[in-house]
Parts: sequence; structure tokens; C-alpha cells
Amino acid sequence: MRRRARILAVVSVLSVVAAACAGDSTTTTTEGTPGTTAATDTTVAPSTTAAPSTTAEGSGDPIVVGGTLSLTGAFAATGAIHKLAGDMFVERVNEAGGLLGREVQWNLLDDESDTANIAPLYEQLISQDQVDLIMGPYATPNILAAMPVAERYGYTLPQHTAVLAPLMTYACQFPGWSIGPEPNSFIPNQMADALDSLDGAVSTVALLTNESGSTAFISYGIADDPDDPSTLNILPERGYEVVADIPYPPGYEDWGSTAAQVRDANADLVLMNGLGVEANSLIDAMQQLDYAPPLMFALFPAPGPLLGLGDAAQGTLSVSIFEPNAPILEQMDPEVGEIVDEFAERASAAQIPYTVFETQAAASWNAWEILVQGVEGAQSTDGQGICDSLHSTGADLTFSGAVTFDPAVNNFWDTTEGLKQIQGAEWVMVWPEDIAAGALAGPTG
Amino acid sequence: MIELQAAVSGALNGSLFALMALGLSLAWGFLKVINLAHFALILLSGYLTFELATATGLGPIATIVVTAPLMFVVGAVIQLGYERFDVSELNSLLISYGLLIITVQVVTNIWTADFLRLPPEINPFSAEAVGVGSLRFPVPTLLAAGFAVVLVVAASLVLGRTYAGKALQAFGQDREIASAFGIDHRLLGVLLAGAAGASAAIAGMLFPIGGTLTPDLPFEWIGQVFAIVILGGIGNVTGTLYAGLLVGAISGLVAVVWTPSTSPFVVFSLVVIALVFRPKGLFPQKGG
Repeated sequence: MRRRARILAVVSVLSVVAAACAGDSTTTTTEGTPGTTAATDTTVAPSTTAAPSTTAEGSGDPIVVGGTLSLTGAFAATGAIHKLAGDMFVERVNEAGGLLGREVQWNLLDDESDTANIAPLYEQLISQDQVDLIMGPYATPNILAAMPVAERYGYTLPQHTAVLAPLMTYACQFPGWSIGPEPNSFIPNQMADALDSLDGAVSTVALLTNESGSTAFISYGIADDPDDPSTLNILPERGYEVVADIPYPPGYEDWGSTAAQVRDANADLVLMNGLGVEANSLIDAMQQLDYAPPLMFALFPAPGPLLGLGDAAQGTLSVSIFEPNAPILEQMDPEVGEIVDEFAERASAAQIPYTVFETQAAASWNAWEILVQGVEGAQSTDGQGICDSLHSTGADLTFSGAVTFDPAVNNFWDTTEGLKQIQGAEWVMVWPEDIAAGALAGPTG
Repeated sequence: MIELQAAVSGALNGSLFALMALGLSLAWGFLKVINLAHFALILLSGYLTFELATATGLGPIATIVVTAPLMFVVGAVIQLGYERFDVSELNSLLISYGLLIITVQVVTNIWTADFLRLPPEINPFSAEAVGVGSLRFPVPTLLAAGFAVVLVVAASLVLGRTYAGKALQAFGQDREIASAFGIDHRLLGVLLAGAAGASAAIAGMLFPIGGTLTPDLPFEWIGQVFAIVILGGIGNVTGTLYAGLLVGAISGLVAVVWTPSTSPFVVFSLVVIALVFRPKGLFPQKGG
């Protein structure tokens, strides 16, 4: 009996730990030693804006860029996009003569989507492997874990996608995707700007929030500060009534109950600050209740599966820094089209289900361009030199234009982020109007 | 009304978890094996359902014709392994956790870690519901409830009215004495583990019908499934179903009365209380 009670206790603890791990979306879901899947030794190629150094001699040891990505585990789907974008970039840099005349090699380790692996792996890359440069991992919690290591060793840290700008305090971290220094203010204000253009078609909002760091930050601002800018504060100030505020835990499954709540709220807009396929689950559950909201917004969805819902997801809005819509591509350098096409081809070959070069890939490309341009500006791989160069001259990014970095706002540059919307069989940039490839469609019904 | 709808939706969702818990509870109760590999079989079945349905156009429910026998064999082979190496109850937890991790990695390597979803032309159920008055019963979880009831009734009948079932109960209570009376525990154990594997195939089939597949799904299931096993009473098949419905209904109700974030707190508080005051579960069996 005592033995059974002990086993029950062990199982209970394991269950709670497993639930918590699932919730954090950072659970180690793969076997093997972290970092052993050194997946790639590709040689990095710069983009069109990162021209090879004029001093390139084509000699000397390779420049080794160390970094981790989530090649397995919960973040692996997006990790694969960043890996492919990085591979393509490195190849282009080397085809163009390398960096400072030296071949670029990418020493990429698998962090298994586990935040606990990040610091040890970056320590290994820097202190044991003695890489010349580093590239940040994917996902905000992982980037936050890598940042202190980079700071300790004085390495410049370009990073793809950290959203929690106020926490990115290391002066030599440089974001490849910026929603400005206050994403918690920018996103709801941009949303309100877009809604304002619909001439009163939207007046009520049901807010759903995944309580993980980046999404809760947009809904509620910095924890414990009710006056911090947030969706919950800004929308009412802008004249939109929040008729339901539904926070849910990461890994949440019971969408039927939540759909009933959303249906009951009967809002003009369902604003879901969620992740991955949560929007799919909610839409399915709402359909089962014979309910379709007039308009829906999903903050960080998996774009492919949401598009795959077909009619049920028509009109759904989200955020984006780049969509390869024809009118947008026509205005850009022809090489952008080549990058988009090559990515689609290679993503298909790599069995990545959604093969469109969009926000994640563009953010990755931006981060690599920042690194390469920093090195070229400094004419060395010295971390402080790269950092100083980027602070003084900024960077010219293929997908986001010329940007400047101000340490006072944690280097988060003026954002180029807009709103995209599912229209027909693709995501279309619809806001702001000056970068839109199509018109914003208002609520249905 | 919203509370009633939430409780109904939650209870139906809970029946899916009860279906997942059934095989685990039986193996734990009668074979003294805490088989986390059961989650691996559910995951694998979900992906095989996806593969068969998309590659052959077979209806997702029909895929259990293939997956159930296959998982029966896999479940039986795993049990043979436990028997062969005389794995203890606690060690089975650790070994099967390893099997689960390996399976997750294999699934990732084969199907990638990206989200997979059956297209509507193959899976017409995902957005469908049956209406009774103003209440809606989502078809994917209604199917789960139907399968759960059928399997629980079948398991109860087998356990209560057949020689094999009674032998299993005897074996679950005292291995040595049962063996002394000539019960072939190896064969019975393998058959039971196979049946649990087949039930995993049915549970796995329901996931692509109801939503999206990712390799890390088992880690989202484990907490709630173990809560149901413990609350239902280990090895208690009807208790497992009741516990699933109860946990689901409470979760749904708490989600709308307070917030969805409160649900895990309430459910796991129940588990802790049950472990302290009702260690044999909320639904004790007669003579149990």
C-alpha cells in the first residue's frame, strides 16, 4: 500500500511537471544530448545588401558563426524555417566571396526547444568551440536565455524574433524583427487604426489571451503594472468596448467552453492574442456552435494551417513584416523574388508544409544581414566593434529597409510591421495602406 | 445557458481523455505497468490515421481497421518486453517514458514537427455538431464519447463475466496466488496490453478528426489523463469514464465561470484531495 502511494505521488508529480512543460511550450520532447545535432555547417551568404567586403582576399580561416535553433521539440516547425533561411543566406554570402574575404561557416546546434539548453550551448559555442560570431536562437524565451551569455563574453547578438522589447536590455543585441520599443502599444494602436478605417463596423471586441510571455505582454502589458500600454487599456481609449477578456493557459485544450463564451459575448471582433494553431482550434469550436464572428484577429498563428481552414478563416487578420504578394514584390529588388522562389522550392524539398517566405523567414534574413553588415562596418569580428558599427551606421535590410539602432530603446527600430488578412487562398498585406497589397475587408454578416 | 453548454462541451472533451486513460488504467491496475508508451501509441495512431486518410482517401474512422490491429500487436510486444525483463512498476514508468520520447522523435523525423491537419474533404467532422434545442454537441468529441462508452461497457463485461476477466482481476490482486491457481498471466497480460494498444489506436484516430497534430501533443495530454486515471480509480474502467466526464465538465464550467486558466488549478487540486482522502479513486468498485 505504501509502495503504491509512493508511486502515485511520483506519477502525480510527473503529470504536473509534464503539464507545466507542455504549457510552457518549452518541454524537451526529443531524445539525445542537446546540441549534438550540429545540423549544418553551411557557409553563410549575404543578401544583396550585404555585399562582400571589398577587402576580401579569399584567404584565411573561415569565419565561424555559432548558434542554436530549435531543430526538434515544440518550436521545431518554426526552427526549420529559420534554418532554411539561414542556410540560403550563408550560401549566398560565400558565393559572393565570403565575409572579409573569408568563407563563412555556420556551426548550428539543436537546442531541442528547451530554454534550459540555451545558456550551456552558447557557453559551449563561445568558450569551447571559440566561434567568431554568434546568431541568436528562435523564440523569445530562448533569446532571453542566450542574451546574458552573449553579454558576458562581449559578443554581438543578432536575434530573429524577440517580442518582449523592454526585457532585451543588452546594448549589443540587435532584433531582426521589430515591433518598435513598445509592441504592447504599437499592436493594439495599429489594430485600432485599421478598425477606425471601417467606419464604425466594429465597436465591440472579445479578447482572448494565451498567458505565455509574448502574447500576454501584448494583451496586458508588463505584469503588475495595470497602467502599462496594453490591448486591454488602449482599445477602450480608442473607443472600442472589450466585452470579454478571456485569458487561457498555454497548452489549453477545452476550446468548446471558450467558444461558448465567445459566442455569448457576440463581439464584432474576436481578437486572439494566441500562438500556433490555437486560432484553428477556436474557429473549429465556434463552427461547432454554429457561430462565426464577424471579424477575427490572430496575433502569432501558424500561417499555413490557418490558411488551410479555407472559408472558415476568410478575413482573419494577423501581423506581418513581409508577405510576398505580387504588388509588393513588383516594388522590390528582383532578387527578393528569387529569394522567395528559392525558399519555396527548398522548403518544399525539406517537407516544410508552409513554403511561403514570410515574417519568420524575413526576420531571419534580417538578423543575418545585420550580423554581416556589422562585421563589414567594423572590418573585424570583434564583438564590440560590430556593435559600435551597427549603432553608428544602422543596417540596410532587404525586407525592412534602412534601420537604425538606438540602445536607449534596446535597438528596436521603427517597425515596418503591418496587418495581413486571409483573402482567397493567400495572406495579403492590407494595413497600413501605403504598404498594402490589397484592401482591408471589414466584418462579415 | 452558456454554463450548460460549457459543461456539455467540457464533458464530451473529457470523454476523449477518458478514452485515452482507459488503456493506461487497465495496464496499471492489472499488470502493474505504468505505461507512458500508451501515449506514444496514441500519437502514432493519430499520424497513421492522417497518413492513411490522406494517402488513400480512406475515411479517418475507417483507418482503425488498420491501426487497431497494428497497435494491438505493438502494445502486446511492449508487454512481452516488460515480462521478459521482469520490469518493476516504477521502472516501467521510466522505461516507457523513454519509449515515448523515442516515438516523439521518430514521428518528428517522419512527419516533421509542423502542424498537420486533415483537409475538410477527407474529414467532414471537425466543424460539425449535433443540435438538441439550443445545445450543441460537437461531432469529434461526440464520437469520442461514443467510443468511450462502447469500450468501457465491453471492458466491464469482459472483466466481470468472463474467465479471462476474472483471472485478470485475480492476477491484479495477487500474482503469486493467481499463478498458483494456474492462471497464465503472461498470455493474459499480453492480451490485455494488446487491447489497451487497440484502444490507443481508437483514441489516436480521434485527434486528427478533431484538430491538429503535432509531435509534442502527448506532453499536453499526460497531466489530464493521469488525473482521470487517479480520480477514476486505477484499473476501474467505469470509474475512468465517470472521472473523464467529471473532469471535463468541471474544466468547462470553471473556464466560463472564472477563466480557462483556473481549470488546471481546480482539476489538480481535486487530484491532490483525492490522493489524500480517496486514494482508490472517487468511484470505488464493489469489493475493491
